[in-house]
Amino acid sequence: MTMIARLGKSALAMCLAMMPFTATAQTKIEFFFPVPVEGKLAREMTRLVKLYNESQKEVAVIAVYTGGYDDTKLKAQAAAKAGKPPAVVLMSANFNVDLKLSGDIMSLEPFLAAEQTTRDAYLQDFWPALHANAVVDGELYGVPFHNSTPLLYYNVDHFKEAGLDPAKPPRTWAELVDAGRKLAKGDRHGFLMPAGYDYLGWLMEALSMSNGGRYFNEEYGGEVYYDQPSMLGAARFVEDLIFKHKIMPQGVTEAGGVSTSFFAGKASMVLLSTGSLSFIRENMKQGYGVAFVPRNVRNAVPIGGASLVMFNGQSEDGKKAGWKFIKWLTTAETLGGWSRFTGYFAPRRSAYDKPEMKEFIARNPDAKVALDQLPFAKPWFATYQTVAVRKALEDEIQAMMNGKKKADQAVKDAQKKADELMRPYVEQTALKLP
Amino acid sequence: MARHQLARRLPGAMLVALLSAVAFLWASPFLWTVVASFRPEGAGSAGMASLLPDFTPTLENFRNALESGTFGLYYVNTLVVVTGLLAVQCVTVSLAGYAFARLRFPGRDALFYAFLLQLMLVPPALIVPNLRTVVDLGLYDSLPGVMAPYFASAFGTFLMRQTFLALPRDFEEAAAIDGAPWWAIVWYVLLPMAKPGLIAFAIVSVTAHWNEFLWPLMVINSPANQTLTIGLAAFTRGAEGGKEWGVLAAGTLLVMAPLAVAFVTFQRRFVDSFVFSGVKG
Amino acid sequence: MSVAGATGALESVQDRLRAKATSMRRRRMRLLPYALLAPSLLFLALFTYLPIVRVLVDSLFDKPHGTGAGEAFVGLGNYARVLADPAFRQAALNNLVYALGVLIPTLVLALAFALAVQRSTRLSAVLRTIFFLPSLVPLVAAASLFFFIFLPGVGLLDHYLAKLGLSGPNWLGNSDVALWSVIGLTVWKNAGYYMLFYIAGLQNVPRDTLEAAMIDGANAWQRLRFVILPALAPTTAFVTVIALIQLLTSVDHVIVLTRGGPSNATNLVLYYIFQAAHENFEYGKAAAATLISVAVLLALSLGSLRVMERGARGNG
Repeated sequence: MTMIARLGKSALAMCLAMMPFTATAQTKIEFFFPVPVEGKLAREMTRLVKLYNESQKEVAVIAVYTGGYDDTKLKAQAAAKAGKPPAVVLMSANFNVDLKLSGDIMSLEPFLAAEQTTRDAYLQDFWPALHANAVVDGELYGVPFHNSTPLLYYNVDHFKEAGLDPAKPPRTWAELVDAGRKLAKGDRHGFLMPAGYDYLGWLMEALSMSNGGRYFNEEYGGEVYYDQPSMLGAARFVEDLIFKHKIMPQGVTEAGGVSTSFFAGKASMVLLSTGSLSFIRENMKQGYGVAFVPRNVRNAVPIGGASLVMFNGQSEDGKKAGWKFIKWLTTAETLGGWSRFTGYFAPRRSAYDKPEMKEFIARNPDAKVALDQLPFAKPWFATYQTVAVRKALEDEIQAMMNGKKKADQAVKDAQKKADELMRPYVEQTALKLP
Repeated sequence: MARHQLARRLPGAMLVALLSAVAFLWASPFLWTVVASFRPEGAGSAGMASLLPDFTPTLENFRNALESGTFGLYYVNTLVVVTGLLAVQCVTVSLAGYAFARLRFPGRDALFYAFLLQLMLVPPALIVPNLRTVVDLGLYDSLPGVMAPYFASAFGTFLMRQTFLALPRDFEEAAAIDGAPWWAIVWYVLLPMAKPGLIAFAIVSVTAHWNEFLWPLMVINSPANQTLTIGLAAFTRGAEGGKEWGVLAAGTLLVMAPLAVAFVTFQRRFVDSFVFSGVKG
Repeated sequence: MSVAGATGALESVQDRLRAKATSMRRRRMRLLPYALLAPSLLFLALFTYLPIVRVLVDSLFDKPHGTGAGEAFVGLGNYARVLADPAFRQAALNNLVYALGVLIPTLVLALAFALAVQRSTRLSAVLRTIFFLPSLVPLVAAASLFFFIFLPGVGLLDHYLAKLGLSGPNWLGNSDVALWSVIGLTVWKNAGYYMLFYIAGLQNVPRDTLEAAMIDGANAWQRLRFVILPALAPTTAFVTVIALIQLLTSVDHVIVLTRGGPSNATNLVLYYIFQAAHENFEYGKAAAATLISVAVLLALSLGSLRVMERGARGNG
């Protein structure tokens, strides 16, 4: 036992010795960040944080790479429960409602008040679609950092071969079906979309919004509109793509499978995130183009992405240091640089006024299309029990994609399940009457 | 005569053919990993799945994998974790295994089942409580914090108990008559004979902790303390969009290479020692 | 005279000392087992018993997420909710299929591999390495590799099936097939490790009985059935216990490959617990499901242990 204790102590001493020397006046904070697309993003983030640490003396940020989005949420919550809450976390933006309800993250309003600004003034520069996910119950909880929307990617060579004009990608659902039929050939699929958990919910939101719908109540966490005509139409559309038009394969394909099929020329049109733009630009060997998500009723897409949140349980110095770091990370310059590196949107509109950004957009017309779609963007669903409520729909749509259920039944069952999940919250809020 | 020989040899030849086919099937994921790690166009192409190597191999994937983290440091940290842990475990499991196999004492069976409980408790349930304990012990964000929950091993104790039980008692009885104390019997008589049990345990312990992801991710914050699988996660855990198969393959090879080289090098000696002393379970 | 007296006195002192030493040694020997177990017990107390107690307490309380309500004692309410949850029932059923689906092929293959490579030749050295290598790959990485292998249309499996003029199902995306694909990965990963135990176990097959059986004209199958398998019974029992426990307590591959989908087709109890605790803020439910799984595992392994100990006694 003494040996173990000594081993522990000496190893601990070793670890301490390895930490960078820090002056006493400096506030040390932890920043948890996930890597959403590629490994090299972790390196870039570490570089950014190093840059920040060298730029000033008051705050020392320890950048902690924490796996995927889900791992990051898990680690941050576990650390908070164990009494070591991280100061700043880059968190998937649709977790904000749940994390506020569970008491994990803190309101950023006091910082705004201290700077004598208002929420509206602060959010002014951010794209309007981002506001709903940043604000929970009327208070600012997250600062958007990188964002995405779904985008239609198509194989230009296949278009030419099928006698389609690559300059005129499908704009409506009808045109999508039409093009898909011409493109599907042998083991090549006309159209493919990721249908694993998380991605499917987001894309069903995109399709139901393109069909005029809302998916959820942006201002109240206890309502989703799964069994409404907009979602029913979207579900039937997916069902038809598989079973009627036969331009999409039966069953579920995960995002990794979709991008690989696209690169391999086995899928002619795919729906993927704008966050994959750099990845596709670097890896697609054939000609490709990008276009808006096709519409049935209107053009509309959901926002996705991550925002910076602060965990409760910080010292006063820790809070100030965290906010200072968030402000640095979300300047138009930093956001613009990160956007060019990753392919995500910069959430600040002013980032696009910078000359580097203008030059970048001019050089990459695909990024221009993604940017042009932004005015049509709407908030990402974020409800009470976001993950479970989303999964309620996904499980049913997946069953439909496997031919186990019809669209009409699927959306009805999904709504029932979601209502059950949200009932505890609804009963404590909207149905709690005087 | 010739037909007779053929008839006798045929089943043997068929067996070898069948065995080779199964071995090829078993090895194919590795073959693909090796081929893909040197293949350009690592994110996917029509020939991505081919097991035939390309004519223009590239080291690009390995470069990308190595650049996404400080792999040298990861190797050292991982090595510290697995060896430090194994050293402590060898002591705890040998002692406990010996006690359960050879000594009679009140409450032995109950204690044995109490040990086994460790195996039944599923990891997700342990994350938060164990993290609290690690913080209370002052081991948060340190390598000993990664190791501490595993210092006691029910599996190792179980394995050593079975190993000791399978050993003949003659030698220890002779040693006991000569007046040797219990620790001398364990150290000079039993442990040398139980080496295969320890080796069998070492394989499990080393591979399990070399490859563990979730727990080190929870305990470690400082980049200086990170382990290999956290580096690997940069390629495996990407949420949105792409999978870079080439980099993933290269990263997997980088993580498993030390273990694989060690196994291939010592394969003979270690399987033989395993075999000839008979852990029969 | 005096010398003799002195010697006698000395002897009696020595006797007394010896008696005292013996009784001390005896007392020490009585405490010895506990001393030997102490280091393990200390860490078990910190990292096994303490969490179990915490989980047990958690399982009796409920704090509905996001309603502002405080923690309330609900007795066995969480257990009732878990058992009534169709997702849990499906996970339990999946787990049963998964456990049997992995265990049986793993044992058969481990034994077959062991029989094939038991002799120490160069070929068997190569084969052993091939069969054993999968157990060295991180489960997370193995799952990512199999994600590629199973990719519809472009993956390793479909690529070569197409060359044979066949087309596979959507290995991970078809809810009827996905669980079997996950089973395939687990068998590939585990069989080689258990092969080692069978190689060792085969050394205990009595040579003379085997030779006698050959002289009596027993064919290979009969020798396997009546001589080898009975001799391997303790190994099989041991491997069964550890294989069951191992495969019921690892979940990384599900997280990477399918996250329990499509439509919960590959959701295992462990992943159900993971979701309840870490995605859905349902700690009470997660705790109850954890204890249910601990109880089942404990019953299972105690059962097999009992069979095993009986077998070992009969054998030896």
